[in-house]
Amino acid sequence: MKNWQRYGILAVAVLAFGAVRLPFEARLAEELRTAGLTPAPMEIGTRDRIGQTSTAVALGGLRTLVATFMNLRAFSYFQEQRWDDLMETFDTIVDLAPRTRYYWETGAWHSAYNAASYYLNDSKLPALRRREAWRASILRGRAFLERGIRNNPDDWSLAANLGFLLSDSNKFTAFRDPDEAFAAAAEAYRRSAATGTALPYVRRAEFYSLARVAGKEKEALALARSLFAEQQNRTPTLLILLLVLEAHENPEMDAAARAIELFDTPEKAHEALAGHWHRIRERFPIYGVAGALESLEKTLKIPKDQSIFSQPMPVPFNPEDLFSK
Amino acid sequence: MSTTAATASRGSHISRILVIARHAFTQLVRMKVFYFLAVFAVIAIGSNFFDLPQHEGPESIGVNVLRSIKSWSLGTMTLFSVVLSIVATALLLPKDVEDRTLYTILAKPVPRIDYLAGKLLGVLMLVFVSLALMDVLMTVVLQIRSTMVLEQQMEMAKSLGWPPEAIESLKAETMVHGPSWSLQGAVFAVFLRASIMASLALLISTFSSSTLFTTIISFLIYFIGHFQADMRDAYLQAGQAGEGVFARLVTLILSLVLPDFQIFNVIDAVIEGQAMPLLVVGKLTLVGLYYALFFTVASWFVFAEKEF
Repeated sequence: MKNWQRYGILAVAVLAFGAVRLPFEARLAEELRTAGLTPAPMEIGTRDRIGQTSTAVALGGLRTLVATFMNLRAFSYFQEQRWDDLMETFDTIVDLAPRTRYYWETGAWHSAYNAASYYLNDSKLPALRRREAWRASILRGRAFLERGIRNNPDDWSLAANLGFLLSDSNKFTAFRDPDEAFAAAAEAYRRSAATGTALPYVRRAEFYSLARVAGKEKEALALARSLFAEQQNRTPTLLILLLVLEAHENPEMDAAARAIELFDTPEKAHEALAGHWHRIRERFPIYGVAGALESLEKTLKIPKDQSIFSQPMPVPFNPEDLFSK
Repeated sequence: MSTTAATASRGSHISRILVIARHAFTQLVRMKVFYFLAVFAVIAIGSNFFDLPQHEGPESIGVNVLRSIKSWSLGTMTLFSVVLSIVATALLLPKDVEDRTLYTILAKPVPRIDYLAGKLLGVLMLVFVSLALMDVLMTVVLQIRSTMVLEQQMEMAKSLGWPPEAIESLKAETMVHGPSWSLQGAVFAVFLRASIMASLALLISTFSSSTLFTTIISFLIYFIGHFQADMRDAYLQAGQAGEGVFARLVTLILSLVLPDFQIFNVIDAVIEGQAMPLLVVGKLTLVGLYYALFFTVASWFVFAEKEF
C-alpha cells in the first residue's frame, strides 16, 4: 500500500471514529453540565482579563488552580486598597470557579465592608463623592452576593451572608429604603433556612429582620410564636420582640405582666427591656416597651434618678453623619 | 488456527506486550522522572500555608485551605501527567531507533502492534505509578489537615453550645472538602486524560520526523481539545446563528478529529466540593478506552509497514 493510500484510509478512519463518538460525547457533556460537574464555557471577557497564559492553563483543565492564583492577586489588591482592580479580579475568579462559596463571600466582603469602610474614612475625597463611593461599594457587594446565590441556589451560607449584609446597622442607610432592605434580608434568611442545611441562628435572624419591616408585624408575630415553641430559640432578643409584637397586636395588653411571664422575674424583665430601649441603632420596634418599663420600675421601686428614662440615650450612629463633615 | 494455538498466540501476545511494557517503564524510570515527586511534595505541603485572612465565621475556618490543597495538588497532577505522557511517548520511538533497540526487537518475531502496545503500556504504567504516589501524598496531607480543621470546628461548636444536628451538618460540610472517593475519581480522570494524550502522541510519533514535532503537535492538540466542545456545539446548533456551509464544515471536521478534553474537567467540580457519581467515572473510562484503543490501532496501521 502506498503512503498516500495509507494516510487516506487513516483520515477516513479518524473521521468515522469521530462520527461514532460525537453523539455519545455530546450527550455526556450535556449530562455533566446539567449535573453541575463541568462549568459553563469561559466567557471571552474572562479570557481577556486573565491573559493568554492563564487562559491556556485554565483551558488545560485547571480553572480552579487559576482561580487560586487570582485569589492571591486579589489579596495583593486588597492590601494596596485598589478596590476596582480587586472587584474585577473577583469577577474573573467567580467566572472560573462559580461553585466555590468562599470566593463569592470574600468578594462581597471586600466590596461591601472593606471598600465601603475605606470610602467612609477617605478624607481625600469630597463628602459627596465619598458617600457615593461608599454606597456604590455596598450595592456592588450586595449584587455580587445575589449573583453568587443565583449560581448556587442550594448554598445556605451565601443567602445568610446576604441577609447579614442587608440587616447590618452600619449599612442599611445605603439601601435608601430600610423597610425594603429588612424585607430582603428576611427573604434571604428564609431562603437560607429553606436549604435545610443552615445553622439554627438563621431562622432567628430571619425573624429579627422581619420584625423590623413596617406592615409585616402579623407575619413576624406568627414566626416568633413558631420559633418560641422551641426552647433553643428563646434568646432575650426573641423574647422581647415577641412581647413587642404582641403589644402591637393588642395595645391593651399588660406588657409588664407578659414581660415577667417571659423573663421569670421583674428584675430580669426590667434589665432585658432596658437593654432593648437603648438598642436604637438597630431600629427594632418598641411597641409597649415604654409602658412596660414604667410599670416595672414602679413595681421594683426604682428611684426616678435611676430610671432608664433619666439615663442618656446612646448617641445614635448614622454613617450619613460622616459625610456631612 | 486451532483453539489451542489461538489461545497460545493470544497468551504470547500479552506476555510480549508485558515484557516490552516493563522494559519501557524501566527505561523511563532510569531517566529519573520520579524526582518531580519532591517538587510535588513541596507543592502539596506548601499549599497548606495559603491561609489568607478571611471574613467567614469561625465555622468556616480552614475550609479554604483544604480546597487550596486539592486545587494545587490536582493542578500539579494534571500538568505532570500530561507533560509526562506526551514527552515520554514522543521520546520512546526515536530513542529506540537511536539506540538501535528497535531493529533488534523487530528482527525478532514480534508483531509491531505488540511493540506499540507494550511501549504505550509502559508509559501508562509510569503515569499511573506517578499519579498514585502523588495521590497518596495529597490524601495524607489532606487527611491530616482536615482532621485538624474538624477538631478546631468541633471545639468551637461545643464551646458555643451548638445542638448536635448543627454539629453534624458542619461536620458533613467540612468532610466534603476532605479525602473522598470523588477525589480519587478526579485523580482517575486525570489519568484517563493523560492516557488519551499518550496514545495520541504515539500515533503522531509513528509518522513524525522528530521528538520535538510530536511534542509540539501533541500539546497543541491538548489545548485545542479543550475547545472541541465549543466547536461541536457550534456545529450542532449551526443554522440558528446562520453560519455558512464552510463554517459548518470546518466545525464538523474539527469536532470529528479532535478529542473532547472538556469532559475531563469534572476535576474542577470535585475541587469545589461536589460529589462525582460512579456512573460518571464509568462513562469517562469508556471514553478514555475508546480513544486509547483507536489511537493505538491507528498507530499500528501507520507503523505496520514503516521502513527503518
